[in-house]
Amino acid sequence: MLRTILCTGVFLCLAVTNATAQDSAPTAQPQPGAALDALLQRFSESPDHFTQTDGAALYQTTCQACHMEDGTGDAGAGAHPPLAGNPKLNSRHFLAGVILTGYHGMPRFGPMMSDAQVAAVTNYVRTHFGNDYPDPITPAEVAHLRPPGED
Amino acid sequence: MTKIPYTPTRRQLLAMIGQVAGAGAMYQAMTSLGFAAESGYTAEPGLQGPRQGRRVLILGAGIAGMAAAYEMRRAGYEVKILEYQNRHGGRCLTIRGGDRHTEMGGHEITCDFEGDGFFNPGPWRLPVHHRAVFDYCRKLGVPLQPFIIKNNRAYLHSSRAFDGKPQRIGHVEKDMRGHVSELLAKSLHQGSLDETVSAEDRDKLLEGLRDWGVLDRHHRYRASNDLGGVRGWDTRPGGGLMAEKSPSQPIDLSPLLQSGLWNQLFNFNSYSFEPPMFEPVGGMDAITDAFAREVSDVIQFNARVTRIAQGDGGVTVTYEDGNRGLVQEETADWCICTIPLSVLVQLEVDCSDEMRQAIGAVPYASAFKVALEFRRRFWEQDDQIMGGVSYTDLPLVQIAYPSYGFLSEGPAVLQAAYDTATGGRNFTYSWSSMTPQERIDAALAFGRQIHPQYDAEFMSGTSWVWHRVDWSLGCYGQWTDDLRDTHYKTLCEIDNRLVLAGEHCSHIPAWLEGALLSALDAIKRLDQRENA
Repeated sequence: MLRTILCTGVFLCLAVTNATAQDSAPTAQPQPGAALDALLQRFSESPDHFTQTDGAALYQTTCQACHMEDGTGDAGAGAHPPLAGNPKLNSRHFLAGVILTGYHGMPRFGPMMSDAQVAAVTNYVRTHFGNDYPDPITPAEVAHLRPPGED
Repeated sequence: MTKIPYTPTRRQLLAMIGQVAGAGAMYQAMTSLGFAAESGYTAEPGLQGPRQGRRVLILGAGIAGMAAAYEMRRAGYEVKILEYQNRHGGRCLTIRGGDRHTEMGGHEITCDFEGDGFFNPGPWRLPVHHRAVFDYCRKLGVPLQPFIIKNNRAYLHSSRAFDGKPQRIGHVEKDMRGHVSELLAKSLHQGSLDETVSAEDRDKLLEGLRDWGVLDRHHRYRASNDLGGVRGWDTRPGGGLMAEKSPSQPIDLSPLLQSGLWNQLFNFNSYSFEPPMFEPVGGMDAITDAFAREVSDVIQFNARVTRIAQGDGGVTVTYEDGNRGLVQEETADWCICTIPLSVLVQLEVDCSDEMRQAIGAVPYASAFKVALEFRRRFWEQDDQIMGGVSYTDLPLVQIAYPSYGFLSEGPAVLQAAYDTATGGRNFTYSWSSMTPQERIDAALAFGRQIHPQYDAEFMSGTSWVWHRVDWSLGCYGQWTDDLRDTHYKTLCEIDNRLVLAGEHCSHIPAWLEGALLSALDAIKRLDQRENA
């Protein structure tokens, strides 16, 4: 359903940009159509589960909120730990397990992601931000890590 | 003047019952009067106070910490609050024009509102049954104004139904009621409910359904002048020789059901959102400012707690004093810690293994808001929406219209996007991953589909993402039933010299009331232990 929404959004946005150019009236200054379209792709097409399948896209729509664009996290009174150079990522099972079940204050993503999605984002994190682990996790391995009673 | 017979107030009546029959009977009576059923809350914590000088160190100057300090000092304890930020209030805050915040990740959130509109990133409305909040507002002199939660003229919107055209809440509600009444009447006529409904009840039901659903004499839900008087008009009744009135047309049942708008209506069903609701005049921080007026002399700002050590003799809290760049220690007889669990789990804390597990067990919910300032109140001027909340299936989820400043000229602020993880939707994560500018762009892109005036009237925007706040790392404790069964009691128990408080130690997570009740309960138990 979101595809339709996005198209409408882009259309209106272009229309506005034109109007601005003609009237030079002070209006909203939305991003150019393509950039806005890419931004709105950040939202899943369903509210119940994430619909992105690509590891980078999944990272952008979930992990990035706390671990930031470059995987460095940030710290103040409390910290969102970095994913760059974090020795805990040595274990693909550990990282996939954290994504599935959450860890401390971090919410769990298991109920909103398929095994393939958890595998994709795990493998993305373990091969980016300076990480270069050679052992990807498979969706079947993720399935084994799911807590009992969770599909 | 005739003498009015003596009628005791409820308070006087309860006091009488308490004197004659004891506290148990009084509590029972309070329940009967609808007083105490929710929490056992009493307006006065009734602390005995210490028998000798006792020092209480409170961590966090949010509403739980300040309420604890206020009440314990009144009872004779010496109190001190350590606060990480350079401000009081915690998650209860209000953002106004000129404010700047740097969020985690280094992006600056700007607020350039030119009018007197404000933005409450955290709590923003008060249900009347949150009695502790209302009692403190009364005691501390916080003026409240009505907060319009349900406005029948606000919208329900589906991007997939009615060509994306928003529908009025009142229309959806009355049409569903009418259609359901018609269906029920039909079943009653067909005798399909004869086994469940007696003949006498059936007649009463049919009679009632006609009024309730505004059915015609054949028990059909159809446009009529009667329905116009309930649902509204296409041409409203006028004066003089104005055009003849004509009733509005109901939406058919099937498209209504398929649209999902009926389900959106359930947003208003919650006891937490029962009208009337209220808000402090001028912004939610009026409540925490009122507490700060009472206790600001005991708050030390810029104090980042790093360790909570305790023994049988007392507690020692280590903190970095940001004012002087020094590591300092405070000792006390008791410690009330209101630091969010998401942060507390990262500190060194002396406590039982069970409590440590509890502290680490509770995820912190994702939540975000975007607020936009517009040149004029087009929602009032063009759409006749005076306050209230519109819901949509778009990722912005809801738009809240200001319940203040009606009809005024000049800029006004909408809470243009808001959701939390409790709603079960994943949109809040995506909003949280965006830069402040991107959130505004997205809120505009979606919002203009409901209010096309956005483009011509937009001035500036601001936002808040709770996972990018370093002192809370999320919005509130996201409990599940399983987590509560395993950890809640341990989390709330006094661990030697330490007790936790805050919304996370309550059954009303995320609400000020939960934080207050948690603090009041914690200090009551500390006081009992002190006097045991």
